[in-house]
Amino acid sequence: MKVNVIKNVLQANDIIAAKNRKVFKEAGLLGINIISSPGSGKTTLLEKTIPTLMPEQKSIVLVGDLETTRDADRVAPYAEEVVQINTGMSCHLYANQIAESLTELELNKADFLFIENVGNMVCPGEFDLGENVKVILLSIPEGDDKVAKYPTIFRAADMVLLTKIDLLGVLNFDLDRVMEDLRKLNENVPVIKMSSLAGEGMEEWLGWLKEQRNKSIGNQAKFITPE
Amino acid sequence: MHEMSIASALMDQIMETAKLNNLVKVEEVEIQAGLLKQVVPDVMQAAFEAVISGTIVEGARLKIIEVKAEARCLSCGQVFEPKVDNFLCSVCNKADVEIIKGNEIILKSLTGKNLEEEDKNES
Ligand SMILES: Nc1nc2c(ncn2[C@@H]2O[C@H](COP(=O)(O)OP(=O)(O)O)[C@@H](O)[C@H]2O)c(=O)[nH]1
Ligand SMILES: [Mg+2]
Ligand SMILES: [Zn+2]
Repeated sequence: MKVNVIKNVLQANDIIAAKNRKVFKEAGLLGINIISSPGSGKTTLLEKTIPTLMPEQKSIVLVGDLETTRDADRVAPYAEEVVQINTGMSCHLYANQIAESLTELELNKADFLFIENVGNMVCPGEFDLGENVKVILLSIPEGDDKVAKYPTIFRAADMVLLTKIDLLGVLNFDLDRVMEDLRKLNENVPVIKMSSLAGEGMEEWLGWLKEQRNKSIGNQAKFITPE
Repeated sequence: MHEMSIASALMDQIMETAKLNNLVKVEEVEIQAGLLKQVVPDVMQAAFEAVISGTIVEGARLKIIEVKAEARCLSCGQVFEPKVDNFLCSVCNKADVEIIKGNEIILKSLTGKNLEEEDKNES
């Protein structure tokens, strides 16, 4: 016999993601899903971002990696709380893994919850974690053809960070080409040219983060009110 | 490789549906895969075989129906079929759209046998 169903296969993940989003909102946290290839500078970005947000704004970090706790160790000195999620075989995080981590955390201690996803340009895009925004990193050494090669993740982006912009001079990278490819996918997505090493773009990035938090959560400051 | 995660989520729904309909054997699974979900059929097939092994679904055929993308331009309302790397509206040349179709993976049907049918088969 044939049974007709019509069921969203990823429904279970989507339901948990929606719950996570609610938890973030109630705790006054902006959830940020950070996605890129391995080595684009996700952890370095967090190492620079979190201390610069302090002391007015504090952060919690969840790091997904196949193996090791190295990235968690790197951000631990700055973050209020860090959870390393080892995904083993899986090339992306699930909403469920985030939900489990949330139960261990004092969410009221922070304003931002950064999720460093597993280094991968395809799979993390398919799994909603409940984040408020998706931030995609593309580093200059990866080449200027990557937006065209991985269009889906760039279409889903709320922010594109062109990282390691300090290497623009030594590499043959056509910025115009990247911008053109992006405009075919995502008319309104903001793009920031960043160097975590040289500090370029950092102010703009922090401004955007705060603006997004205000949009999602409202303008309540948990700690010292910034001037 | 997110096909593996999709396959295990799919497996949960197959088992739930099979139980609800008293299926003791599943012979065919039909899914719709939206183009924007980037499911590679061969990889999906391999992942499917991995998750069904040793279950009532083992040996079942996986039928993947690919669904094209459809988008509505948020500026002018035009409905069009975007390409994976090009969401520009053909009328106003802006990539600011709402996705109508092609962003989902749907379990469409199961074909199999309930206890009665299975018994008939064996006798
Ligand atoms: N030149 C340059 N190198 C960077 C920058 N940001 C990160 N890196 C380097 O890129 C490498 C990978 O960075 P990491 O943050 O671990 O990347 P992840 O795998 O995305 O977390 C490290 O050696 C960093 O020092 C940058 O802005 N400029
Ligand atoms: Mg890292
Ligand atoms: Zn239009």
